[in-house]
Amino acid sequence: MFIKIENLYKKFGHVVAVDHVNLEIKQGEIITLLGPSGCGKTTTLRCIAGLEKPEEGDVIIDGKPMFSQGFVPPSQRGIGMVFQNYAIWPHLRVFDNVAYGLKLQNLPRTVIHEKVEEALTAVGLSGMEKRYPGQLSGGQQQRVALARALVRHPKVLLLDEPLSNLDAKLRERMRFEIKSLVRRLHITAVYVTHDQAEAMVISDRIAVMETGKIVQLGVPEDIYKKPANRFVADFIGTTNFIAGSLVEVQLDKGKAYLQTDFGRILCTLADSFQVPSDSTVQASIRPEEIEIIPSATQKENVFRATIAHRAYLGNFLYIFVTIDNTLLRVQVPYNLSQKEGEEIIIYLNPEKCMILP
Amino acid sequence: MQRGNLLISTVLWAVVALFIVYPLSFLLVESLKNAETQQYGLQNYIDFFKDPYYLKTFVNTLVLSLLVLLTTTLFGLPLAYMISRYRLKGKVIFTALILLPIVLPAYAGAFSLIILFGKMGVINLLLMDLGLVAKPINFLYGVHGLVFVQSIHLLPFIVLSLSAGFTNIDPSLEEASEVEGASGIKRFFTITLPLATPNYLAGAVLVFLWPFTDWLTPLIFGQTDYLPSISYINIAYHFTDMHRKYMGIVSVVVSAVICVSIFLLSKAWVERKKYTSLSKGTTLEGRIIYPPILIQIGSYLYMLFIAVLVLLIPVVLGLSAFSRRWVLQPFPTYWTLENFKLIFIETPGLLKNSLLFSGTALLFGIAFGLPAAYLITRTHTTGKEALDFIITLMLAFPGIALGVSYLLAFWEGIPLATHWIIMPLSLFVRRLPYFLRMAHASYLQLDISLEEAAEVSGASKLYTFFTISLPLLLKGLFVGVVMFFIMAFQEISTAIFLYRGGWETLPIGIYLNWHRGMEFGIAGAMAFFMIVIIFVLLLIVAKIGGGILGAAWGSSGGRY
Repeated sequence: MFIKIENLYKKFGHVVAVDHVNLEIKQGEIITLLGPSGCGKTTTLRCIAGLEKPEEGDVIIDGKPMFSQGFVPPSQRGIGMVFQNYAIWPHLRVFDNVAYGLKLQNLPRTVIHEKVEEALTAVGLSGMEKRYPGQLSGGQQQRVALARALVRHPKVLLLDEPLSNLDAKLRERMRFEIKSLVRRLHITAVYVTHDQAEAMVISDRIAVMETGKIVQLGVPEDIYKKPANRFVADFIGTTNFIAGSLVEVQLDKGKAYLQTDFGRILCTLADSFQVPSDSTVQASIRPEEIEIIPSATQKENVFRATIAHRAYLGNFLYIFVTIDNTLLRVQVPYNLSQKEGEEIIIYLNPEKCMILP
Repeated sequence: MQRGNLLISTVLWAVVALFIVYPLSFLLVESLKNAETQQYGLQNYIDFFKDPYYLKTFVNTLVLSLLVLLTTTLFGLPLAYMISRYRLKGKVIFTALILLPIVLPAYAGAFSLIILFGKMGVINLLLMDLGLVAKPINFLYGVHGLVFVQSIHLLPFIVLSLSAGFTNIDPSLEEASEVEGASGIKRFFTITLPLATPNYLAGAVLVFLWPFTDWLTPLIFGQTDYLPSISYINIAYHFTDMHRKYMGIVSVVVSAVICVSIFLLSKAWVERKKYTSLSKGTTLEGRIIYPPILIQIGSYLYMLFIAVLVLLIPVVLGLSAFSRRWVLQPFPTYWTLENFKLIFIETPGLLKNSLLFSGTALLFGIAFGLPAAYLITRTHTTGKEALDFIITLMLAFPGIALGVSYLLAFWEGIPLATHWIIMPLSLFVRRLPYFLRMAHASYLQLDISLEEAAEVSGASKLYTFFTISLPLLLKGLFVGVVMFFIMAFQEISTAIFLYRGGWETLPIGIYLNWHRGMEFGIAGAMAFFMIVIIFVLLLIVAKIGGGILGAAWGSSGGRY
């Protein structure tokens, strides 16, 4: 393991920011800490950088402990970091911003020039060396920050919401650029974001965090398809929650019947699921997993629904349907013929209908 | 509403023209007049710069300026860093304390240091009693004494502006340098200090220019060979000697020109260096470091040292105020309230005058400053930059130049100088920036959309101002009011030229009592009384809006 986070615990006053987090990151892996604001993802990252000192636990980078045996200051960790607001020094030209860390290593001038040139070219900024940060656009400043973080060829790159200040188009492009750059340089990267789409695109694995803990760690597909709990299902993508009480649990098959306001549905139990004492639970099904069928061919999990709203989103439609008083969001092809107020028949696939803890 | 703005602008410009431009042009014209031929030309200036004596005073003043700036910077830099970066207990009280010398009159500091460090002062007497020295050590009388006194007086300017500079730096800029491999000292000199430089400069220029405006401190220490002091002596004592009078006027103009041009240069430089704001949504507090225990102890000791130095002034003045014949003894032996009885019962006029003049000046200041702040921050009226500029310039303008020009301009022609209104008028003009800057700073902090929301809801500009803007500005304005009052209350440089019998203020009373010689106790009592008033006002300011004060004084660099 290249980076090992062991039992990390950090609090600010009485607020626990990171609550005994364990995480192992392989060399060359891009891992994302994903979660809403205040979940502890940035604090975890800052502990890896050494910008925060944890109360307990250790961070081990390339076999070297950072906290347990004396504190290794950020300046001695040899990491690269991209800050949320870029932290480009306004009083230094682009060249001097990027060359800053190299100059501290007392490298010969020619080497510094070469390396800065290489880094600036990699991020597409060659020719901008003489500019001051104030003369650059937000996207260009972001690239300077990236070049500065990469110029020393750090073994670890930390990125703290690096794209959150960019506009939507540029943000999308930079996701791919950062990913290919990090891959090409074989850097181990830890990426912090609250944007689940960004996390999906950029990461090999995602660690979803909630209130200082990692609640799920896995590849993007697993996180989306097999959310560990309701929080993850809700935070990653969009989903429908259907409340009800368990009436018939078949633990051996991993299935159960759920009695809801509009009828009985067969659902799949999540891996870690345990039956609660009052047996009221919620099932989650994503809008694109709800199927529209021409006629009621099966008996189970088929319901008549009324279209309450149609929302056109270009390549697909969102329709909001009501079954009795329950509102569900369904993603359908854009050429759906039924109008608002008309009736359709929907099928809730038991495999996709997950009862989550 | 365009027409309303134009009206405000016209009235403000009329005031500026009548009370700033008109008298100052008089001064300039007078300095060009030849004493014998009554013709106008550059002869006075040529005489001035050819005379080795005046050239010497010029060089002396310049050297003094540099030494004071160097000293305050050396002592202020660590102090500002401790205040703005370290998490230390008692920082708020300490910050209020080190603000004290800004508002204390410079002469008060000079008196107390004479009592303490003079030839027959406490320290020398103690040293001689102990047999450590045979003859008294000259602590004060010379350039070193001036550097000592003026550095204590001006240290707050450096500390305030530097700590504002440090606080304004986005924490991530320093963190980034740490991640890039820079530790401690290296980070401070490559990132922190350069980023704080524009703020530092805003304070440093005021410090540098001070010796070009302070005529009284050198005189108290028996030093006449400084530009403002010799101006004062030439004009106040040698008005019958035409050559000396005109040399005085020329030296006043020279100091004024130096002040204005250095102020301009530094402003231009700061403008150019002002870094565009890159970061959004960072903490207002700046970066906070928990220092290691040794550095913590060192910081407390250093802060204590500065605090003791600052507190010496009121303590020594207090001792002399409550005692009699504190001469040739290391400590007072005879305690009395006689001094206070004298100033309250026999000459209550001084206090009454001070309150009346400062109060009236304050009314003028608000009536002018509030519309001016509105015009400068909220409108696009042409010439508003020039207005702001002229008013800000008064910060660096020597009081002596203002006093002399008022005397020249308002004697004949517009004979305002025969009426006591000239006193509050001159105070108003001299201290104008103190209220305006606060008003300006609070206006900048007030989100314009709050006012726009009121207008969209149907309120007129005037109604919006009184129901939305004014209540929200109140705190900052109050700080401005108190600061203005303090600075008007302790003013002497301008008033000394304009007062006539019966118009003496408390500071003039202090000066006259010192001047007459043996009335040290009374002068001390007056100064102590003033300090008590000022300190109470200052506590109110620190309590209400220390942050606003910092914003107004250190804001020239902006946030990055």
